Amino acid sequence: MEATFLLTLLITFLASFIGYELISKIPQTLHTPLMSGSNAISGITLIAAILIYPEIGESQLLKIIVLIAIAFATLNIVGGFSVTGRILEMFKKND
Amino acid sequence: MIEIILLVSSVLFIFALKLFGRPSTAHRANTFAMLAMALAVFSAFNFDFSKYDSAFYITIVVSGLLGVLISKRVQMTQMPELVGLFNGFGGGASGAIAYVELSGNSLPLSDVFVAIFSMVIGIFTFSGSLVAVMKLRGKLNNFNKKLADIFSVFLPTIIVFPAVLEMDDLLMEFIILVSLIAGLIRVAVIGGADMPVVIAFLNSLSGIAAMSAGFIVNSIILIVAGALVGASGIILTLLMCAAMNRTLLDVLKGGFGSTSINNEYEKDPISTSPEDVAIQLSYAESVVIVPGYGMAVAQAQAAVKELTNTLKDKNIEVKFAIHPVAGRMPGHMNVLLAEVDIDYEDMYILEDINSEFSSTDVVIVLGANDVVNPLARTDEDSPIYGMPILDVDLAKQVIVVKRSMSPGYAGIANPLFINDNAKMLFADAKEGLENIIKSFELV
Repeated sequence: MEATFLLTLLITFLASFIGYELISKIPQTLHTPLMSGSNAISGITLIAAILIYPEIGESQLLKIIVLIAIAFATLNIVGGFSVTGRILEMFKKND
Repeated sequence: MIEIILLVSSVLFIFALKLFGRPSTAHRANTFAMLAMALAVFSAFNFDFSKYDSAFYITIVVSGLLGVLISKRVQMTQMPELVGLFNGFGGGASGAIAYVELSGNSLPLSDVFVAIFSMVIGIFTFSGSLVAVMKLRGKLNNFNKKLADIFSVFLPTIIVFPAVLEMDDLLMEFIILVSLIAGLIRVAVIGGADMPVVIAFLNSLSGIAAMSAGFIVNSIILIVAGALVGASGIILTLLMCAAMNRTLLDVLKGGFGSTSINNEYEKDPISTSPEDVAIQLSYAESVVIVPGYGMAVAQAQAAVKELTNTLKDKNIEVKFAIHPVAGRMPGHMNVLLAEVDIDYEDMYILEDINSEFSSTDVVIVLGANDVVNPLARTDEDSPIYGMPILDVDLAKQVIVVKRSMSPGYAGIANPLFINDNAKMLFADAKEGLENIIKSFELV
């Protein structure tokens, strides 16, 4: 348990570090698509909703709350990627 | 098997960020990120799709379709609102999940902390983003600052609470309520022009909320992706703050520009006409256009493109100087210009263009104000002192297209407007440019 937790912390640290290094190199021109793209990625919390959904049990209230979370996260992911694609398409045709 | 899928997914996410580094490869980055996301979501089912009822699948399909629909319909000028809105949804989802996990009552104490953290951040992001969207739409004025300060003291203290108190429903509802209101009020006190910072900051928070949710449900991919988003948001936040020479704390404190000082001009500006501007431009060899929020409000991108074509046909060099905080979100101006097919090679960042202004014949300032205010260099008492600005006042001639002499967000006069080399074209950005283009046909 302890070791796993430390390992998880290490992964968190490494991911943040890689993210920081890579994103620092992204030019200003692409900051809006970067933002909408990373915004779409934050919808990945959908995974948490999928994981806990079968384990909710009887409570209708909790079930509805998870369904709302699923709707929000899906909107975030699908809408976010779709709009990022639209923005990047405009940069592509410049080539 | 699941582990391998997740490994591939994590690598794809990181690779997507790498591809994002250049405009020519960025569209592939989106494809990689989508693939990574699809794999991650797929893995969460653990090959058992029968555990889920129809309500689950219907919710996913309907909200997915809704997402596509919204994203296809929205205009490029509304991009800041849309990103803000989606961001709020992401945060809200993490907050809701944390709430459900806390209600389960079987969490170890360390997870209770993380879950409360995730819930507070998620709900704060949700309500804060919604207010940011309303602000961006101009539907909300600045809020009472004192009330907000009381709440910002509140917020940190409630995270410490559960250590002392037993977690119960009442306390949880209290925390939710406070997080909601804190998000509302905190963003409500911040002015519209500081929204690039706010949007970037909320973006980072939604990543952090997702990351914490990953700790609760023991999902490494959720932690990795959340951390990447958190990092990206923080970088953009700090970049935006540095571009204004202000700290994040100062921006979040709000109330910027509400105290108007030194708002008077010593003399009247020189006003000019579209015809004169057209003549002036036709004698120029180099032109730099400085777009600002005014261009977005007036939807003047197409007119900018047309003027650029007209000038380039006359062998006049045209460049765009873009201040990092121009507009309402990071890179806002670049996207609007890209929308009308302006080459990103012609868009210059502050560091690259500032040395060129002294050899530029004509600068057109299009709906920008504080980012070209020379007081940032000279007046130590000015609220914008020390902010890196575009040194357009060093150019041979400056034309400011602006509707009136009203001050910008900082609430201060801009001496550029009464500079000897500057002329004002009093017009809405779109209308002004269209009239200049029309006059060209007569020159």
